[in-house]
Amino acid sequence: MTPSPELTAADRGSNSEREWFEDLRLERHAFTIRRTRREGRIAYEWSGEITDPPPLRESGRLDRAQCLEIYRFLLMNRIMEQQLENLYKQGQVVGGVYFGLGQEGNSVASAYALDAADWMAPMIRNQGSLLVRGFAPRDVMMQYMAKAGSPTGGRDGTSHYGDLGPRRMISPISMLGDLIPVMGGICMGERLQGRNVAAMTWIGDGGQSTGVFHEAVNFAAVQNLGLVLVVENNLWAYSTPLNEQAKVADLALRARGYGIPAVVVDGTDVLQVYDACRGAVERAHGGGGPTLIESKLMRMKGHAIHDAAAYVPPDLLEFWRRRDPILRFEQYLRQKGWLTAEAQQRLAAEVEQFMLAERAAAEASPMPDGNTALSGVYCEPGCHAVQPRFEARAPALRAANGSANLAAVEGDAPHLR
Amino acid sequence: MLLTYVDAIRQALAEEMRRDPAVFLLGEDIGIYGGAFKATAGLVDEFGPARVVDTPLAESAIVGAAIGAAYSGMRPVVEMQFMDFIACCFNQITNFAAKSHYRWGAPVPIVIRGPVGGGVHGGPFHSQNPEMYFAHTPGLKVVEPATARDAYGLLKSAIRDNNPVLFLEHKFLYRRVKDEIAEDGPAIPLGVAAVARPGRDLSVITYGAMVHLAVETAAALAAEDIDAEVLDLRTLAPLDRAEIVATAKKTNKVLILHEDTRTGGIAGEITAILQEEAFDDLDAPILRLTSADTPVPFSPPLEAAFLPSAEGLKAALRRLARY
Repeated sequence: MTPSPELTAADRGSNSEREWFEDLRLERHAFTIRRTRREGRIAYEWSGEITDPPPLRESGRLDRAQCLEIYRFLLMNRIMEQQLENLYKQGQVVGGVYFGLGQEGNSVASAYALDAADWMAPMIRNQGSLLVRGFAPRDVMMQYMAKAGSPTGGRDGTSHYGDLGPRRMISPISMLGDLIPVMGGICMGERLQGRNVAAMTWIGDGGQSTGVFHEAVNFAAVQNLGLVLVVENNLWAYSTPLNEQAKVADLALRARGYGIPAVVVDGTDVLQVYDACRGAVERAHGGGGPTLIESKLMRMKGHAIHDAAAYVPPDLLEFWRRRDPILRFEQYLRQKGWLTAEAQQRLAAEVEQFMLAERAAAEASPMPDGNTALSGVYCEPGCHAVQPRFEARAPALRAANGSANLAAVEGDAPHLR
Repeated sequence: MLLTYVDAIRQALAEEMRRDPAVFLLGEDIGIYGGAFKATAGLVDEFGPARVVDTPLAESAIVGAAIGAAYSGMRPVVEMQFMDFIACCFNQITNFAAKSHYRWGAPVPIVIRGPVGGGVHGGPFHSQNPEMYFAHTPGLKVVEPATARDAYGLLKSAIRDNNPVLFLEHKFLYRRVKDEIAEDGPAIPLGVAAVARPGRDLSVITYGAMVHLAVETAAALAAEDIDAEVLDLRTLAPLDRAEIVATAKKTNKVLILHEDTRTGGIAGEITAILQEEAFDDLDAPILRLTSADTPVPFSPPLEAAFLPSAEGLKAALRRLARY
């Protein structure tokens, strides 16, 4: 990866530091948020300059077809969330809705960097990653609507579902940080079966404050596990701004304390996100251990739909509105001559139509039968049509004889049809 | 071969690791050192450091990693150096592992094993009995063997089970009890209680180290013409309701004995089951003898006052027999 042209050598640190720390950004976001008293009330104040962002950083890893596929996922992500908002306003959602507005580029491009043999576990705002991994928008909608047809049959909501089968996705729980050791453990288990895989998950600027974050990253480092941890620094943990969450200048700097490589990216630049994540995935495949990626972006809505985010200074939102990841990527595709205005309109209309059909399918699903609540606490013999994955693999594992560091896994990504 | 309780655990681990390459161990100091109580001594030499993994001191990461490895198709067995430290990974166990199958159909075949219990002057943080935090959580299985043979056979079943199993080993028993155990012997099913001593007049329902207190006290009371039955629960979740009800219907008098503290202990749950299912068969109030509702004290006289005693049990059983 080439260093950013705009940054001085001092900005990038010494050569030895660059071995563990890479900064792919083309701009540093220069603004501050501080607490102040305004008309008798405590509020957050923004100071900075509302500028336009630079063009995207050329990738060199992604071709035209891949970029257009990513663009389609981005549109799906955004339009799906608009549909979720409509469903909520019509009273069809049980509980709240969580949005990834402004973070779609990060969710989609990071998940897109995984191979089919890799694993991932989404956080609540990574709804684009679910689509990349092969779940349908109707799955996402039915989860929010608590329908019988949802991936959990109504037993859980939001992004709390997964698939141990072909999609290789682990369901998150609501407690932040607890996914991280689990993803490390997947790499450990896979390695014992003779395969180096990458296991990707995300954590926020809030979640990285948890104790289990520290335990898990250190564990992955010591065990050299292929964890790809994307720290989505979206500046707000519910209503708490970054400077009340962490003292460190870049959250990626924490990686040095664990002895693992770190990359900082502009989370609204799809190409930077992809490059950093793909590099980390390849490192994992080669047995190179974990990578921490800090993705700097902004949560453009409240914590959930009930939260108007009145505590966010309006200028901060305006600063980031100019860095909309989808519009920035669209501009890139236009300049490359890969997407004409007509093609863009056609695609957007097609995704709109598709999303309406998905929504209709979600609405058609019945609510679950109350009696189904009482089964499945334990995994009983015969309760799974598909037997535990290990059974089929026992011979391979015996051959591997528990030794680690075998060949990297080759696999087609599910979206590369 | 004649094996102590801790040797039986090691034997079961080794045999399961030989039988199934998906089984591996992770925990603190379990490799070259062989574990704080030597439950894994020598296993790293046979199976190598990839399958007997010395981890950082990080209980949440250890259990989380075990859950992930289980998702990938393995059968990890975690050692808690002392079960008291399980509090550090409570969330991984109760929210991640326990709810996984119910929420999204993903089984978590892990075992978390380690020493519990007092009587060895370990003080407040090396003597606790944490079973009820977990027996109360749907989705977990909780096992506590009282004999070397049960430790061996139940551990085999725990490892083969497709659910998260907490396997509580009473440290007082590690080197104090032994059994003749055949190599590659049978697994003992989870969720099935055992009559440790048959009797006619009254029933003591108990588990863990208290089984031995109950059996010894019952033998002493035989001289007073009190014939006590002792039911060893062996598994606390799921509970063997049928055997609990059966012994109550047989003797019509029940005392529940546990080393766990009193309030919220399994005695309350068993009492409720008997009220629901055997009320008409009871000839006496259900009694319970438990540890006191305090932290586990350190100094020997204090700990003796905290734990159920032989004298206390005798007195309670005499009282029960008089009804």
